[in-house]
Amino acid sequence: MTDPLTEDVVAGTMSTFGTVEHVRKNRFRITTTPDQIRDAVKTVHAALSCDRLVTISTADTRQAFELHYHFTGQHRTLVTVTIAIPRDAPELPTMSDLLLPAGIYERQIHDLFGIVFTGHPDLARILLNEDWPENEHPLRKDWKPDGKTFYGGTPPEGR
Amino acid sequence: MAEVIIPIGPQHPALKEPVNFRVIADGEKIVRLELTLAYTHRGIEKAAESRDFIRVLPLLERVCGICSHSHATVFAKGIEEIMQVEIPPRAQYIRTIIAELERMHSHLLWLGVAGHEIGFNTLFMWTWRDREAVQDTLEEMSGNRVHYNMNEVGGVRCDLSPSQVRAALARLPLLEERLKKYVAMLEEEETMLLRFKGVGKMTRHEALAYGAVGPTARASGVACDARHEDPYCVYAEIPWDVVTDTNGDVYGRTCVRIGELRESAKIVRYCLEHLPEGEIRVPAPKVAPTGECLSRYEAPRGELVHFIRTNGTDKVERLDIRTPTLANWTSVAMCLAGQHLADIPVIVAAIDPCLSCTSRLTVLDNSTGTGGMITFDELRRRNRARWQEEERT
Repeated sequence: MTDPLTEDVVAGTMSTFGTVEHVRKNRFRITTTPDQIRDAVKTVHAALSCDRLVTISTADTRQAFELHYHFTGQHRTLVTVTIAIPRDAPELPTMSDLLLPAGIYERQIHDLFGIVFTGHPDLARILLNEDWPENEHPLRKDWKPDGKTFYGGTPPEGR
Repeated sequence: MAEVIIPIGPQHPALKEPVNFRVIADGEKIVRLELTLAYTHRGIEKAAESRDFIRVLPLLERVCGICSHSHATVFAKGIEEIMQVEIPPRAQYIRTIIAELERMHSHLLWLGVAGHEIGFNTLFMWTWRDREAVQDTLEEMSGNRVHYNMNEVGGVRCDLSPSQVRAALARLPLLEERLKKYVAMLEEEETMLLRFKGVGKMTRHEALAYGAVGPTARASGVACDARHEDPYCVYAEIPWDVVTDTNGDVYGRTCVRIGELRESAKIVRYCLEHLPEGEIRVPAPKVAPTGECLSRYEAPRGELVHFIRTNGTDKVERLDIRTPTLANWTSVAMCLAGQHLADIPVIVAAIDPCLSCTSRLTVLDNSTGTGGMITFDELRRRNRARWQEEERT
């Protein structure tokens, strides 16, 4: 175990990527842009010795999709890198070549939000059933189940 | 020899829950693994957005039948953080006691399943019998064997009576005795040594690179434990240790889980003996202010994370659940490569995969030999009668 990261260290390393926020005691958040996300993640990984990706959380704010990459390491400090991508063009580069565990989280996000991770080796369906209709992403805020659409499983009688 | 694709699952005698593996094999050696987890998706994250905080907790317990308390606690503590509600110490202790009992029952269950996967069914029978002692304690404390429903935003729902504490403490010596037996078995039991040692090996570096969590990572020497990294409940103030191992194989994962069983028994004993007096809940507001929280929790299988966002109403705006099993799949896929086909069950079982669980209540009356479903009222009546009898004695 090493000492927790201080605000000076995080701000000094990450301020080139965007605003650095001290959320609470051992939590920091860096808000950056989709163009810089790969470099920001590389820096968090190398310079801040955050060797574990805790998870990638996603939220639909109705204006944009937010992605939060949460990292931690031996210093027991949680560093979050946040980006927002436009809802009408939900595309960003994959992180799975830099961080192996990102691959499975990206597949899940692709399934539920329809965000495309360019360069992902196998963006196949993982959570929704295989006969789930294309282009239906249930965790988007504007998604409503439609009585006429067949969402997979056993087809109702008479179809 | 050409590569062969072997489909396993979703329905397969060797699997406990529906999952689909496509194993790409070269002879007896595994080359690669592809998987689909889609068979038990129930849309709980979406459903959580339409229920208020009182109704969402029972729903979240049903994410998993084994670590139901984990999901409820991680959510409740996240919402409490957003609301800035401080829950009373007695509630913190009760949450910890249930959490550690849950870890014990989960690890004992795992040990049995791992024994079963290597054809060592005696171990399965032993551990599942010992697990009953833990289950009985949980049932006495909460009224339920599976979904304890102990949490609410602002504290816990049930208090522990002195007789419950006494009964739980009385069961611990037996468990501690049995755990010593399992520790001894790890060193001398040939079946376990032969089938666990060197299987599914993962170095410290690999465990970090594959994002493994929980006992899977700790068995490779990665000392990650959310109870230590981001202490919640009472873990910062009570004595306990993070259990790690350096073997990195299925044997190491077994050592870690048995070590954690002993730690959990220690924590439960400490908490029961030092249970503070006082309230078990504080009144929490009905609505949460707009906010956001990443709530971390060490579930039996590893770090469980809920990303919660609130919008000033009594419902969540977004709940993103990352279960430990999802984090561990990458490591399974990676460490299966190069292994033998026959070792798939035990390597997969070694992360203790939990896809989803359901449970029904069936009662068997030992005295009359009759069984069947009973109504909830009848169950309540029987429990009350048993309680009253126990309180008298």
